[in-house]
Amino acid sequence: MEPKNILLEMKDYIVEMGAETINWCMQCGLCTNLCPWRLVPGQTSEEFNIRHMQRLGQMGIEGFEDENILFACSTCGMCQNNCPRGVKIIDNVKAMRASIVGGGMVPAGLRPILGSCHANGNPWSGPRENRTKWQEGLDIPQFGPDTEYFLFVCCHSCYDPRSMKIAKSIATLLQKGGVSFGVIGVEENCCGESMRKVGDEELFQKLAGANIELFNAKGVKKIITTSPHCLWSFKNDYAQLGADWEVVHYTEILGKLIAEGKIAPVTKSGKKVSFHDPCYLGRHSGIYDAPRELLRSIPGIEVKELERSRELSLCCAGGGGRIWGEVPMGERFGELRVLDAVETGAEVLATACPYCVNMLTDACNSLNKQDVLEIRELSEVLVDSL
Amino acid sequence: MADAQDSARTILVAGGGIAGLSAAVEAAEAGFQVILVEREPYLGGRVARMNKYFPKLCPPQCGLEINFRRIRNNPLIQVMTMAEVEKIEGESGDFTVGIRVNPRYVNEKCTGCGKCSEAAQTSIPNFFDYGMSTVKAAYLPHEFAYPMRYVIAPQVIGTPEAQAIEAACEYGAVETDMAQKSVEVKAGAVIWAAGWTPYDISAIAYYGAGKYRNVVSNVVMERLASVNGPFKGIISRPSDGKAVKKIAFVQCAGSRDENHLAYCSSVCCLASLKQATYLLDQQADAEVSIFYIDIRALGRQEAFFEKVRQDERVRLVKGKPGEITEDPATGMVTVQVEDQQTGKTLREQFDLVVLAAGMAPATSQQKIPASGVVYDDFGFVVSKGQIPGIIGVGCDRRPADVSSTVQDATAAVLKAIQACRR
Amino acid sequence: MEKKIGVYICSGCGIGDSIDLEALSALAGEHKAAVCRKDPFLCGAEGVARIKADLEGEGINCVVVAACSPRVMSDVFDFGPDKVLERVNLREQVAWCQPAGEEDTLMMAEDALRMGLVKASESEPLEPFIAEDINKKILVVGGGLTGMTAALEAAKAGYETVLVEKEEALGGYAKDVYRLPPCDPPYENLEEFDLEDLRAQVAGEPGIKVYTGAMVASVSGAPCMFDVEISQNGANCNERVGSIVLATGSVPYDATKLTDLCYGTSPDIVTARDLEAMFKGGAVKKPSNGQPVGSVAFVLCAGSRDPRHLPYCSSACCVESLKQARYFKEANPETPVYIFYKDIRSTGNYELLYKQLQKDGVIFVRGSVTGIDDDGSGGLVVTSDDVLTRSPVMSESVDLVVLATGMVPTSALGEPFKVQAPQQDGEPAPVASDAILVSNLLNLKYRQGPELPGLEYGFPDSHFICFPYESRRTGIYPAGTVRAPMDYQQARTDAMGAALKAIQCVEMVSVGKAVHPRAGDQSYPEFFMQRCTQCKRCTEECPFGAINEDEKANPLPNPTRCRRCGVCMGACPERIISFKNYSVGMIGNMIKNINVPDEYDEKPRILVLACENDAYPALDMAGISGLSYNPWVRIISVRCLGSVNLVWMADALSKGIDGILLLGCKHGNDYQCHFIKGSELANTRMTKIQETLDRLALESDRVKMEQVSITDFNLIPKMLDDFAEKVNSLGPNPYKGF
Repeated sequence: MEPKNILLEMKDYIVEMGAETINWCMQCGLCTNLCPWRLVPGQTSEEFNIRHMQRLGQMGIEGFEDENILFACSTCGMCQNNCPRGVKIIDNVKAMRASIVGGGMVPAGLRPILGSCHANGNPWSGPRENRTKWQEGLDIPQFGPDTEYFLFVCCHSCYDPRSMKIAKSIATLLQKGGVSFGVIGVEENCCGESMRKVGDEELFQKLAGANIELFNAKGVKKIITTSPHCLWSFKNDYAQLGADWEVVHYTEILGKLIAEGKIAPVTKSGKKVSFHDPCYLGRHSGIYDAPRELLRSIPGIEVKELERSRELSLCCAGGGGRIWGEVPMGERFGELRVLDAVETGAEVLATACPYCVNMLTDACNSLNKQDVLEIRELSEVLVDSL
Repeated sequence: MADAQDSARTILVAGGGIAGLSAAVEAAEAGFQVILVEREPYLGGRVARMNKYFPKLCPPQCGLEINFRRIRNNPLIQVMTMAEVEKIEGESGDFTVGIRVNPRYVNEKCTGCGKCSEAAQTSIPNFFDYGMSTVKAAYLPHEFAYPMRYVIAPQVIGTPEAQAIEAACEYGAVETDMAQKSVEVKAGAVIWAAGWTPYDISAIAYYGAGKYRNVVSNVVMERLASVNGPFKGIISRPSDGKAVKKIAFVQCAGSRDENHLAYCSSVCCLASLKQATYLLDQQADAEVSIFYIDIRALGRQEAFFEKVRQDERVRLVKGKPGEITEDPATGMVTVQVEDQQTGKTLREQFDLVVLAAGMAPATSQQKIPASGVVYDDFGFVVSKGQIPGIIGVGCDRRPADVSSTVQDATAAVLKAIQACRR
Repeated sequence: MEKKIGVYICSGCGIGDSIDLEALSALAGEHKAAVCRKDPFLCGAEGVARIKADLEGEGINCVVVAACSPRVMSDVFDFGPDKVLERVNLREQVAWCQPAGEEDTLMMAEDALRMGLVKASESEPLEPFIAEDINKKILVVGGGLTGMTAALEAAKAGYETVLVEKEEALGGYAKDVYRLPPCDPPYENLEEFDLEDLRAQVAGEPGIKVYTGAMVASVSGAPCMFDVEISQNGANCNERVGSIVLATGSVPYDATKLTDLCYGTSPDIVTARDLEAMFKGGAVKKPSNGQPVGSVAFVLCAGSRDPRHLPYCSSACCVESLKQARYFKEANPETPVYIFYKDIRSTGNYELLYKQLQKDGVIFVRGSVTGIDDDGSGGLVVTSDDVLTRSPVMSESVDLVVLATGMVPTSALGEPFKVQAPQQDGEPAPVASDAILVSNLLNLKYRQGPELPGLEYGFPDSHFICFPYESRRTGIYPAGTVRAPMDYQQARTDAMGAALKAIQCVEMVSVGKAVHPRAGDQSYPEFFMQRCTQCKRCTEECPFGAINEDEKANPLPNPTRCRRCGVCMGACPERIISFKNYSVGMIGNMIKNINVPDEYDEKPRILVLACENDAYPALDMAGISGLSYNPWVRIISVRCLGSVNLVWMADALSKGIDGILLLGCKHGNDYQCHFIKGSELANTRMTKIQETLDRLALESDRVKMEQVSITDFNLIPKMLDDFAEKVNSLGPNPYKGF
């Protein structure tokens, strides 16, 4: 075999794009072996090897830029959280993607998404003015100087009809609990979390810059997010850009409301419910107990832990831009999740992330398990119990 | 036993494992009085529970036997078992050491005849076998125990059973009303040899230790292979006692990992290679897989590594496994790992998976009861800036194999002698 | 000594239930014991008091305790050095391993007592050998890091030391050392190394006498009385010392042999030592053109872990290369640095240095280097396999390639001491791994050769895991990289450990005690020279080179070199070598006192000679574990199978004993014999037993040697039964009844 050339310039470029820890990697391989792709069959599983990809990046050797490999990572964080060397693997993935996307080589499937963000401030090709459509039938206050919290609703729940229910239930619960909150509405932009993960740093900067300017102008100090992705991005990406807000996920607020007796779930559904930890809520943000406490606060519900839960939770495959990826049936992580829940004896698989709801619902349907398992957002389960 | 105690020529050794034991005999043979304080009822510590040493594959009991003989023949050594150092005060050359002695409920009249054990009814988990077997509440810690004296478990004290045990002894050796006591001794120097504990592998959630019975640590593997272990030395699965044929060793279980132990535990590579030979020697059709990052076989150990590698029943795979799962129906354990040599993902079932648990210094959990001792972030006693006369040795200083530990213990005696001269 | 024997039989621990003690007492009477008492609890205060009362009142000076194993209660049954004590093991090796009340059990106990009585009556109190003109100085040979540390630390402990260094200044390898790998938290930063300070400490320590530019011309004598000739500047000085630390270190592997790594093809391919000297000297330049080094590649395992060169791992090179890589990164973080490796062996906290170098951006390539080539522009490119990318890779051009050459101990340099006889095809016979090389380090005036015998690869270590300082020359302790490949930290610790052993040796020897493994033993071999036939076996076979020879080949024993194993006693065909409490005649008489029934049918007899270190405790363990074994065996504990004299075979067989089983430690490469060669020598001698057996017209199967480890106690019953069955199949010893 002809020797491959080590290219320090290429390596330095990747590092410059953000892969600052790529050289910390000692190539133990734990990342590859904890990767959810190992749990499914198929070509992507065979080709996508995060250790090897980082190895190529470490030496600036060509080969990592293959679209099917480079964009396979769902940034679930299973590898990163357990990396023995503390390598920021997701940053490395992001940087390697950026080294391609920055050069204009955007994968075909992502082009309309990024384009929509540029044009509409959301990836779902929805007109800006429809951002508030989910509020129909509800009386959602506008954020103002006297409002404590700004409720930031994920674009997915603004535009996806199924997902709108999530926004509705969360808003309803907050209102019932007497939380002072409001929305800004059509001026809001997508948080840009996924755009940054797919390597479009320029787009992210644009979205984030606009949001920071908007939120600060409105006097936002505290934010409630519906999605763990927005939560994480505001807390981490935005903080890097100077944003200084107190950001919480809605599950954290609701926990307090229940503890204070402001919300009192009563309905005894008697169902067996499993909770799927969303990666960006659990591994990325360290929130494991809040959603479980919410479930346990509902009388009569039996909580069944999934085989892989909490720190070991299995990704739904919706992060890192994968929500727009095409994956053949039989290779979807969500299907494993659904089967696991069914095996556990759960009747409801609850989660707390719009992407997870989306991915798990698709999986449930494709497996034809919708009769035995309901995929629900946690807020929906709670609203039902009131 | 040392009667008249000359503190300036007395060295106190805390810990009766291979480090402390070696320090004690080396110091006594250099002419110093030694007080050897051991927490457990027997000397030998962690190595007494091992099957063999690498690379010679010789039993630890052999060297321990010689050391016990050196103790028996040397009147300068005073051994205190079931005892713990509680406080160290004073300064180099003139320390006052407080020692707590826990009741053994058996005195020095014990002949080791075993009548007390016959009288005992209750069974307790066997500490020596890491709880994989049981012993009677009146027990000899193990066949080679030194001192060869029984112990009564505190669980039965105050019960009619204890009375029966006491009555069974023909020699007045059982004293069920024995109380804990504290003593103070003077010493010119203190050698701290509290040893190490295996890293808690259940903290590595994705490997499932603690959840799956056939995922065990390397120290447990030593018992599984020991002739005086729970399976009489036939390596068997803890779940069902079935003989093991296909085994996996997962290296760096906790070591070289910022989330667990950031340092390399130094001995686990050789320990696993050694444990591989346990099975190879027992089973003609054994299949051994060793999953590693780097094989660290320093010095002449390389030849041992090479010898094991040459065995065609051994497969060395560069790669750190990810998730480990156990089939509840069969007890078979599946390991998933990329063979980096080929790039292929292996997903294979094994009878038993041994996690090469790293070494945590005992001083990471229990500090030396003296003020001013300096530790690093991992709890190791550091060498620089230390208070004089208190000398950390062996695995309290760095992760080390037996030979390096003995070497270190011998060197520590020289420092102790210097401290006594001050 | 006029013996007055007292026999004390314990009936406790089940002995009384198992054995008819009246019969046993009667036996004591038959053997003219002055006193014979039974006690239900002999180790109790009353039992011991009764013995002591007899010592006082009855004038008993020879005590036979027939009770438990000598491995236990030794502090209780200690009646002082002027009394002879013999322990008869009725508990572990009779009562606990044989059915109670059986005739065979009683016969076994009777034989044990008979043998004990014989041994007691033939033993004498020990008189320690006290050397003349005792000296407790420590000689340290080699003034590098290890040697300086050993001398300094021994002096600080109050022992005078003599330090001999061949160069004009102290320092050794450390002379070129710039800095050290990290020793303290956070284990990421290199340590400063102040050789001058160390030299000043040595110079300022009044207890150290330093000879530089000096060699050890010869060492004669023995511990506490070594006479050392030191040649310095053409003149010779003499020093008398008590013990020796050998710290002559190692040399880097000869890089000119590394043609596969292209050494010699470019001046810019240098060794790690060359690079260290460049940093120490403050000028790191390309040797080819004197330009600064802007990029560098390290090639690890240059010679090490390679059967063509050094099969072992040199232990320190990985960390040493990481250290040197750090030099470059500290000077300029942008410097491209490559490390080509097989495994990174940064054990312990050195792992954090490895991580630091990764953070520094060093490129690590895992695999075998396949080429180091001139790139045509004055630079070098390194090609290597890389397991991690699964393809060969090639570096960018670098200014310097550094080969991390391994360590060769100074003890491995030199020709074998004995001229090896050529094999039939004219090829020289392979040099034994433990051959003594004439390496000009100590120049011992020892019969067996002038240096320490090596083990594999020429390291003069004894390969004991539990006892790393055991060398095969009493009172001489190798330390540092001459003993094993090691790094600076370990070498410093090693220096202190060896210094302690040297101190311990002079303390023990000066009061007539043996050092490890029979530490404290005051017996020593005495030679009845009138009967010596100058056969040289004792001088050749002593594992510790304790015996010299005069010009007529008479043995010249050196008791302070002796470890008291008795290998010489086993070797001597004339039986002229004896200890006061252990001799050929004594054991022979014990054997002769075994009662061999004339009728074979049910009562064959098997003599078991068991090594006291492992086999004997294993037999005890069988008893403690409640295993029972063959009732025909009669066990005699020996110091080492190497001390077994072949005449005992004749004694036993002519007595009518049907089989002889020797239980000893494992021999071969991973020997477990505490006297290194003892069990191997026994094995060799066993091959010669054939001759004896032929002379007696006996089957050679009647004598067998088994390797037993201390934990093999579970195998012992079967081992004994199998042998008994074999003996049985041969039929009775035809000498029975003669």
